[in-house]
Amino acid sequence: MTPNGAVAFALLVIVSALLARDPVGLLVILTATSCFALASRRPVWSALVWSCGIVLPLVLFMTLVWIIIVGRAPHEIAANVEGSRSAASFYVTIICLRLFIIAFTVQATFLHFAGWTPLRFIGALALPRVAKKLLVLTLSLIDTILQAVDRARTALIGAGLITRQRSWRNLRHGWILVQTVWLTVITIVLGRTRDKWPVEDTLARLEGSLAARATARLSATDFGWMALAIATGVAGLR
Amino acid sequence: MEFIAGTNFSGRSAALMARLRKQAPAFFIGPHAEAALSGLSSTVADEIEIYRAPKPDREAFAPLDFAAYAERRPPTLSGGEQVLLAVHCFSLSDYAAIGIDTALEQLDPDNRHRAISYLTHAESQGISATLADNRLDRPPGMTVHEVTSTSAEFACDLTAAALLPACQPMAIKVQGLSFRYPGGRDIFRNAGVKLESGHAYRLIGVNGAGKTTFCKLLAGVLAADAGAIELDGKPYAPWRTGNRAFAFATQNPDHQWCGATLGEDVTRRRGVLERQGIKVPPDETLAALAARLGVRSMEQHLYELPLVARKRLSWLWAFSGVMPWIMLDEPTLGQDRTTRDALADAIARLSGSGYGVVFITHDDDFAARIAHRPLRISDRLIS
Repeated sequence: MTPNGAVAFALLVIVSALLARDPVGLLVILTATSCFALASRRPVWSALVWSCGIVLPLVLFMTLVWIIIVGRAPHEIAANVEGSRSAASFYVTIICLRLFIIAFTVQATFLHFAGWTPLRFIGALALPRVAKKLLVLTLSLIDTILQAVDRARTALIGAGLITRQRSWRNLRHGWILVQTVWLTVITIVLGRTRDKWPVEDTLARLEGSLAARATARLSATDFGWMALAIATGVAGLR
Repeated sequence: MEFIAGTNFSGRSAALMARLRKQAPAFFIGPHAEAALSGLSSTVADEIEIYRAPKPDREAFAPLDFAAYAERRPPTLSGGEQVLLAVHCFSLSDYAAIGIDTALEQLDPDNRHRAISYLTHAESQGISATLADNRLDRPPGMTVHEVTSTSAEFACDLTAAALLPACQPMAIKVQGLSFRYPGGRDIFRNAGVKLESGHAYRLIGVNGAGKTTFCKLLAGVLAADAGAIELDGKPYAPWRTGNRAFAFATQNPDHQWCGATLGEDVTRRRGVLERQGIKVPPDETLAALAARLGVRSMEQHLYELPLVARKRLSWLWAFSGVMPWIMLDEPTLGQDRTTRDALADAIARLSGSGYGVVFITHDDDFAARIAHRPLRISDRLIS
């Protein structure tokens, strides 16, 4: 399977999940996604746990608001009918199942390329050069923010302003951490763009590295998975 | 190989960059990580791939097994490992020129020797290398360019620094210390050490051994997986209760600012320290100390200072006498000989006054000026 095929499959599944009208259709799509995850031949347990972790806050919030407090589904409110908690439960199930499928599909896609580095994956995508570079720069910015968080925490913990573990001190000085992180991000980015990148022409080198990784756009396997995604999408519409 | 000689603030870095711009594109390794690595890669493997030439035509510089580091995020490597990775990337690239601004000072003696030898021999393969380094003094076989301009703007005077009243002794005992970074190898396994105040301890070990990690564990930046720390015989868990024993001057000074200006940094630290009952000198005293370290205004924006001046200012809290223990991670980085000698004397004065000092340096000449006890970190133990 190529990265292009995996991304196409994921997008088709996500669109199908958004269009599906009932839990049965969503379960069909979830079955297809599960097969896709299992086909990666990697342990799917962590992907399931991660997806559940993403959906859990939404489940709790929607259960509280729609089932316990409101007690009616949105379409019942729009039609100005009395409504029921079971209709609200049905509504919450569909919304949460949709989000779960989207989260699990993204994780399943990553499972297929677990041994790949981000640069290899992006390089293999059939995208314009500018789009690939933007993707790498976006990841770079995320990494820079993570690095800045690490640096800022070192500074503030070392100075005693915050502690590594949860504490009231962290709540009191949390805003200083946020300020320090952004100050650090700006400093790191300025440092790179002032000295390193211009003299090395690093971005041109990145472009060369991405171009060298271009692979076949789609394989026969990709078409098979895409057909399955479309079929489940149609099933979900019925 | 060309060597740019000069004192701090003589314009060495500017001269090095000007030389590289003429040779552009040229590989650049700056004094700290942000200027050593590309910042475009999420893993070490990607960092290497960005620079790898389609057909590398020169000998690779591989002092470490980078395959074992392939999935690590580059910023999580130690300072020395990042520099080694950068030189490795250069060796696989097709750049014809490289400039290194004091970064090799972070390497342990063996790796430093390997890197300098590699760059010296690389000249025979048509590579132009330019080096600024405070620990090389007119190295033989190198073309020396002397930069002589001087600036007194950030001049520091350490002769009057660290003249503090005697400090109350506070011993530290570490027992059964185990630590590993998530997904990484063991850094410490059941390690133990006793540190007595009034002494200076030098942490020794190869790049990546865990010297900085040990300091971070003592300061509470990291939490040990197992083990206990005692401060004066009482349990001390800085990761839970906060750091109240160590003035920690980090390897990269930008890892320790708590504000945008010096005044903001001082005010924030003062607030938290005084709430813990720790006595902090008045602002005037700290301002006078900062002036001795080369920064004459409390309104000075920290990130606008030259790196060398930031590094000197990072010693402020160590020399203020606020904490009974002082940790200096590679304090000599970027500092010329005069400053290094003055710093060594200041550290000796601190330990003479009863303060405990833990310092990390690969500079043997600097360490030799301080009466110290060596602590070697190897095989996940401290001995």
